[in-house]
Formats: sequence, structure tokens, C-alpha cells
Amino acid sequence: MIAALTSLRPSQTAVPRDIGFFEWFFDADTWTGTTGIVASLQDTVILCAAVTLVAVAVSVPVAAILAHLRRAEVSSTWLVSISRAVPTFAIAALLLPWSLERGWGFEPWPIFIALLLLALVPIYLNTYTAIRQLPEGPVDAARALGYSERSILTKVEVALASSLIFSGIRVAAIQVVATEPIRAFLGGDGLGRYVRDGFGQNNNTLVIGGIVLIGGLAALTGLIFVALERLVLPDGVRRLTRQQGDTSP
Amino acid sequence: MTTSTTRSRVVRLLAPLAVLGLVTASCGSDDDSASNSNEPATSEAPSGNTDPATTSEMTDGPTIQIRGQDFSEAITIAEVYGQYLEAKGYPVEILTPAGFRTEAFDGLQSGDFNLIVDYVGGTQVEIAPDAASTADVDEIVANITDPLQALGLTLLDYSPAVDGDAFVVRGDSEASTISDVAELDYVLGGASQCPERPQCLVGLEDPDIYGITFADFITLEFGPLLGEALANNEVDAVIWNTTAPQITEQGFKVLDDDQGLFPAQNIAPIILTELLEAYGDQLAADINELSAMITTDDLLAWNTETDIEFRESDEVATEWLKSKGLL
Amino acid sequence: MTPGPLPSTLVAQANNPIIEWEWVVDEWDQIWQAIVEHLALTMMAMALGLIVSAFLAAMALRYRWTMTPITATTSLIYTLPSVALFALLAPVFGNLSRWTAVLPLAGYTLLILVTNIVAGFQAVPPSVRDAADGLGMSRARRVWTVDLPLAVPFIVTGVRIATVSTVGLVTVAAIIGQGGLGRLIFSGLRRAFWTPMTVGASLSIVLALVIDAVILVIGLWLAPWQRRRKAALS
Repeated sequence: MIAALTSLRPSQTAVPRDIGFFEWFFDADTWTGTTGIVASLQDTVILCAAVTLVAVAVSVPVAAILAHLRRAEVSSTWLVSISRAVPTFAIAALLLPWSLERGWGFEPWPIFIALLLLALVPIYLNTYTAIRQLPEGPVDAARALGYSERSILTKVEVALASSLIFSGIRVAAIQVVATEPIRAFLGGDGLGRYVRDGFGQNNNTLVIGGIVLIGGLAALTGLIFVALERLVLPDGVRRLTRQQGDTSP
Repeated sequence: MTTSTTRSRVVRLLAPLAVLGLVTASCGSDDDSASNSNEPATSEAPSGNTDPATTSEMTDGPTIQIRGQDFSEAITIAEVYGQYLEAKGYPVEILTPAGFRTEAFDGLQSGDFNLIVDYVGGTQVEIAPDAASTADVDEIVANITDPLQALGLTLLDYSPAVDGDAFVVRGDSEASTISDVAELDYVLGGASQCPERPQCLVGLEDPDIYGITFADFITLEFGPLLGEALANNEVDAVIWNTTAPQITEQGFKVLDDDQGLFPAQNIAPIILTELLEAYGDQLAADINELSAMITTDDLLAWNTETDIEFRESDEVATEWLKSKGLL
Repeated sequence: MTPGPLPSTLVAQANNPIIEWEWVVDEWDQIWQAIVEHLALTMMAMALGLIVSAFLAAMALRYRWTMTPITATTSLIYTLPSVALFALLAPVFGNLSRWTAVLPLAGYTLLILVTNIVAGFQAVPPSVRDAADGLGMSRARRVWTVDLPLAVPFIVTGVRIATVSTVGLVTVAAIIGQGGLGRLIFSGLRRAFWTPMTVGASLSIVLALVIDAVILVIGLWLAPWQRRRKAALS
């Protein structure tokens, strides 16, 4: 059904400047077609989901293993200090010529890599810190019981740290969704296109529409993760972490 | 004691920071002004090659503020006119290029600047949208002169230089006229203004004109990126302009406008009527003299220098003016 | 959008390398102008952010119940996508005004700054507070002479993080015509001329790292006991 909605021809008429927001929002033409909201949403969600998945797949194991082995303390603290210095826009812009020169076009590599770097950091930091700060008790107990190191890591440490790890993933996902709109200004589309086109055509309805869609998706992402957390994490862990307190913003 | 050291250090730090902050915040003022990306011409041009009496008259008048649209050709044109007028002894400010046609007219009316150079066909669409599109430049001038006057603007003489709309495809395309494209399932690339412009997507899709249904429309920044996308097969056709040097450079071809969608697009200066009156006939005569000297080949040459050789617009303008003995 | 065969013209464009140093030298004025503009926007945003944060933090510390709504609001602002926020304010202040950029930029700093300022003042050990009160200091005197210096490391960390992230966000402000190095990036993008893009992008990264180091050093200068403490602990 999505394919049917998104493969329609682009809207035949341009959006007039004096159309109100609600009129635009509730017009079927706005949603369907290759430049419609459904297609743009699809673009955005696919990219953000891909970035988040890869970031989790890379960061969590690496951070967990390093934390378990009590290694890489210094480089992790160094990562804290430069973590905020990831200027996603600049990185994506920097990669654009490289991608074009290789014949790969404007997308997906520059924006994918830039967003990936953005997502890696909170996930890595939360996972590392969470496992590193775990009290010695449960881990020692597990060792005494004869668990293998690998089992300790996967069954004990990750489980106990899961709440913080999850909140790191949540923060990363929201940041990715919030930053993804810059892609529309670098030759791509996604939900950012309405702001870009609104600026280009001096059409405030489009700009507002873009803002509502982008903001809405960011909020929705947060909610989805809160719900996911409730589903996925064991109750005992959540109770525990609420006592410990979560300090991530 | 450490805490008193800290306190005194904090205070010692805040003072210079505050000064630094005030300095940087005030220098390079609010909107687009002299801090432009293509360097103000004010430092370059020698003042006046006319007699002292006229020169001092001119420098006493209001500053001529010209702003070009945000693509290389328009930027170069603004530099050419700006540097030329300055050499004639007028007080000139070349503003940072920004926006496109809509912003240009908004700025003129809000007093942000008082001189622009536009393409007459596009001006007609903006100012007199109900008038019929035509390839006859004099007809267009007739259509736009009065509406411009009503806005407090005067249209000066148009130049022989033309930069028209071009429907561009790759060299290996089967089409040779725009009508041919109706059969092909092409993806069109254009600027974000294109979907709302009659001489762009609206006219191409209009069943009374071309009636083409494109497979998709990709928004791109107007300029060399259109060529990049075309060359990279991201799009199959782009709406570009006739003086884009990449067209011959990369072996693209311009399709024939068999239904006459694209209007005449000579460049013509549009000036705030008040400004013109402040300086009298001399200003109009000077500007018209320059307009008459610019040719389409000049536009193409300028674009080649800025877009292929990546030279800066202000240098290109200075060089051209010198070669014509105007600087 | 399948990548086609590489057109020979792209590869053969030897005059469009990733960075052409000659251009950098020739256009240094322009580049410097962009850096100054970038720094100016960053400083304006940080100044505004600090003033507002100081006020909010004082509120949160004085009236405990305000901490939750303040955190909630600043968190909300923090998650607002930057593109959306710049776009939101553009029609209000005009597309090319500095304030359109400074307000959202300042907004993004609030969460970090308020959190850190509050944490800094809360980290003052109660025993130290009691000692100061025991010495007969008035509340104001205590805050100024005891609490503040001890809170400095936290505040500096907050300032450091906020400033660096602001530098990154200023590049995005280029979409509304304000943006120092971001303008270089866009002008390069528009012309398909890689050098200004590379210069703008790498300079903004370098600028962020340099500012980070500078603030770190200033922080150590302001509160030298940190180094001594670190030395003592290791």
C-alpha cells in the first residue's frame, strides 16, 4: 500500500502561497505521490532506522567488551569531551564532494556517515559508563558461580545496564531524527524538503508544515522508545535503575 | 586562598570577554551589508573619470545599493554594474548576494536596496503574471513598465544580453524538442522555485502547452549542481539557463522550445524611481550605456570563468570592465 | 537514483580538487570574515544562554519545585530539530537577521548550562556550607565567596559542552543566511566548487576543537585545585 501511495506522479499543481496550513495538511495530494508526506516520511524513517541500527550494532558490543575488560578508560573520557563536537552538517558537507566524485551521487553516504557518527557517541558512552559503573557484587557473584566471562557480559552486565543502554539508544535516535532534516539542504529529501521548498518558494505554509512534521516525528520517536523500553526491559532492572538515577540529559 | 584566586580570576576573565563580545557583536552588522562574500568593490575602483564638478555632485547623493540574486551570473552582473557606477563616481554599495527574484523585489520595496538587474521574462511573471508569455522582448517591456511604475520602480533600457530558460538533457537523449519528452519517462530536476513557476514545471505539465507528466521532480540548487545531477544520472532532464557553460562542457543538449513556453529573457536594470530622480538623467544615461555594452557572449564568458575556472565574481567583473576601458 | 558510470568530465576536472590551496590563500579575507561571523554568533548565543541559564538555575536552586518544569522545558527545547527551530523564527525576525539564529542557538544551550550550574552549586559539600555559616557569613557572601568558586568546574564543563555544540549548530544557521562558515559551505555547494565546502566544513570542526581546548585550559586556570586533586588521586 505504501508503494502505491508513494509511486504516484508528483502533484500536478504547486502549493499556492495563500493556502492555510490545515487546508494543506488535510489535502490528499499533499500526502501522496513521490514528493508527498508519505514518501518523505518513508525516506526519513528508513535512513534514521538504518543509522540507529548500525550504531547499536557497532557501539554496544565494542563498548560492552571494553567496559567489561576495564580497558579504554582514557579514550572513553576523551570521547566525552569531543562528543559534542560532532558537527553533523559540516561532516556531511565535507563528504559530499567525495561521494560525487566517486559517482555515488548526493546520497546516501555523506548523510548516513555523518548521522552515524552522531549516533555512535551517546550509545557508546552510555553503554560503557553503565557497565563500568556497575557495582562489583553481582559480577563477582556470577564469577563465583562459575559463569564464563562471555556469559557474565551478556547475561549479567548488559542485563543490569540495559536501562541506561536503552536510554542511550533513545537519546541517539532522537538526535538522529532531529538532525536528519539537514539532508534536504544537501541534495536529499526526507521531511526536511518542506522547509527547504518553503524557503525557496517563499511559502510559509510549507515551512510550517515541515516544522510540524519534523517536530512531530522527533516527539513520536521519544514516545516509541519509552514504550519499547517498557516492553523490552525486565521489570526488575527498571526498578533498580530508577533507584540508581539516570543522569543522562 | 584558592577560592579568592578563583573569584578574582573569574572577574578578570569576564571583563575582557565582555569587551570581546561587544566588539564582535557590533562589527559585521545585522543584515546583509558590506560584509559580503564577494568582497566590496569600494576598495578597488578609482574614483571618477569625469570632471570634478559632476563628481562631487554625484558623491553627495544617496548611496546606490545593488544586490544580486544568489547564483554566479547574477552575482557577476551585480559586480559589473556596481563597480562601473563606482568608477563613474557614484557612492555605491554592493550587498551580499542573497535570495532570488521574490526576495529581490521584496527588498526593493522595503528599502533594503535600490537597484537590481533582472531577466525581463521572469520579471513579467512576477509583476504582471496575467500577461501572456512571449519571445518578443519589446512586448514584455510594454507589459511590465507600468506595473513597475506602480511599485515605485523604473525599468531602464534592456541589454542585448540574453540568458533564457533551457530544457537540458544528456547528449545521448532521444529527444530533440521538448514535446518529445512527453513520450519518455523522464525525471526532472530543477530549483525549488520551479514547481510554482509558469515557465517551469507548471507550463511543462499544462496540457494546453506541453502536457508532460514526469516520473519525478527532484529539487536541486540552481547552478552547477543541476549539471552534476544530470551527469550522474540522478535526473534525466533539468531546467537550466542558456548561458550555463557546463552545457557544452559536458556535452549536454538544449531541447527546442517548440511550443514557445520560454519568454524573452534579456537582462534589464530595475531601479527605485526615487533614486533615479535624485541623480537626474545622468544616472539613467550611465546605466544604459553599460547595459548596451553587455552581450550574451559576455554572460557566457563570465559564467565560464566563475563556474568552470572557479574565479571569484568580483575579479571577473573588474577584469571585464578594464578590458572595455570602463575602469 | 542508481549511480551511473562516472562521467569523464567529473574525473577530469583537475581544477576542482577537494581543496585548492591557492584559493584559500587568495580568498583568505572572505574566509576570515566567515570565521569572525561564526565566532560572533557563537558568543552572542552563549552570552544570552548564560544569562538566561543563570537566572533559571538561581530559580531552581532557590525554589526547588521549579527544577522539574525547568528541566522539562529546556529538554523539550533541546530536542527541537534545529532546522525546524530556525525555520520557525525566520518569518518573525526576517530571514536574514542575526536574532533569528541567536535565539534558537541560545535555547539549545539552556539544558546543558542549567543542569551544570545547578549541579555545581548542589555539589558544594554541606560541611563546607556549615563551616561558612558558622563563620558568620551572610547568605550572599557565602554564595559569592564559597559556593561560586567551588561550582566553577561544573559551570566551565557546561560552558565547554554548550559552546562546542553551538559552534556546530551555527553552521546549520546558514540555511537562513546566517552562519559564518556554513555560508562558505553553501556557496561552495551551489557552485559545485569543492574547495570552499571543504574549507568551511573542516574549519568549523577545527574551530570547535580549538575552542574546546581553550575553555578547558581556562577552566583549569580558574580552578587550579582540580589539577592538584587529580594528581593526589592518581
